[in-house]
Amino acid sequence: MKKILIIEDDTFLQGLEAGKLTKSGFEVKTATTAEAGLKILDEETMDFLLLDLMLPGDKDGFAVLEEVRGKKDYKKTPIIIFSNLGEEAEIKKAKDLGANDFMIKSNFTLEELVEKINELLK
Amino acid sequence: MQEQDIQALSEKCAKLETQIARQHDTVSISTHQLRTSLSAFKWIFKMLLDGDTGPLTPEQQKLIEKSMQSNERMIVLVSDMLNSLHVEDLSLTYKKESVDLVALIDEVLFDFSSESFKRGVELLFLKPSPLPLLHTDKDKLRIVIQNLVENAIKYSNTGDKVFITITEENHSLILSVKDSGIGISQEDQGKIFSKFFRATNAQTKEQLGTGLGLSITKTIVEGLGGSISFKSTLSEGTTFVVTLPL
Repeated sequence: MKKILIIEDDTFLQGLEAGKLTKSGFEVKTATTAEAGLKILDEETMDFLLLDLMLPGDKDGFAVLEEVRGKKDYKKTPIIIFSNLGEEAEIKKAKDLGANDFMIKSNFTLEELVEKINELLK
Repeated sequence: MQEQDIQALSEKCAKLETQIARQHDTVSISTHQLRTSLSAFKWIFKMLLDGDTGPLTPEQQKLIEKSMQSNERMIVLVSDMLNSLHVEDLSLTYKKESVDLVALIDEVLFDFSSESFKRGVELLFLKPSPLPLLHTDKDKLRIVIQNLVENAIKYSNTGDKVFITITEENHSLILSVKDSGIGISQEDQGKIFSKFFRATNAQTKEQLGTGLGLSITKTIVEGLGGSISFKSTLSEGTTFVVTLPL
């Protein structure tokens, strides 16, 4: 079973995302802050990271992305930025920092998110 | 001009830039919040329609379908408004850089690959021999290409092909996006670049849409020093042509 970490500060959206991914056969871990997410990534190896950009505290999603890509074990782990930001500059920055894809939440259903995750895990 | 005048002007410019940046942040945060609620509605409506919370009566199903359509319209509106505001706010600050138009089109087509597949529309980019780089605003030009390709996909019929070509002529690059979709009636052809205008056949074919896309596209193209024109025949298709100076 593939392990996915969701870093998302909106607990309502996080619940919907986690519910859908669990039903789709993934083992899901969740964090609402960058720090909590990074801690999980250090404690166990995840196969996939679903990352929001606007997070509370000192580190936003970009900082997490940069830090994760700097870790030896996560150089090639698929990462989707799942955010309701989505200006060109933000998309470019995320891709430059190593995100595999940038999905604007409101433009996708959770089924489409699962399809994309499966595609990147192939 | 006196040195004092120059200083006063540059202070005014700095103030304006701060104001624009602040406005930009406000719009960006508001959009984020709006989209967050719209995402939640979208996902919940979908769960309800899929029967995740139990079977629905036909009436409940119909009501939720209507709500979902309305929510989708809001999502499109938020994106279009955001683009529109950016185009207007930042029209003074087009930033120029060297842009490889072929690579930029490839990126946009990649982004639309799943949408075109879903609708059974084939995107064909006829790549030219090497072309000179444009000196233009890449992010804004991307919006132009996105809008034209998106429209071509939306208003094509299943099984249609969309042709994208670039040629070099008279110190300009000419981008053409040709579809064989629903076309634009003679009556509507004079209005398609007006804000919020949507042709009747476009509304029938595609309920989502705000009528801002082509208005934004024209504003940007002209801001980049180029021009946009089109040829269309109802029920046969439309070709948009964008001329960009080298």
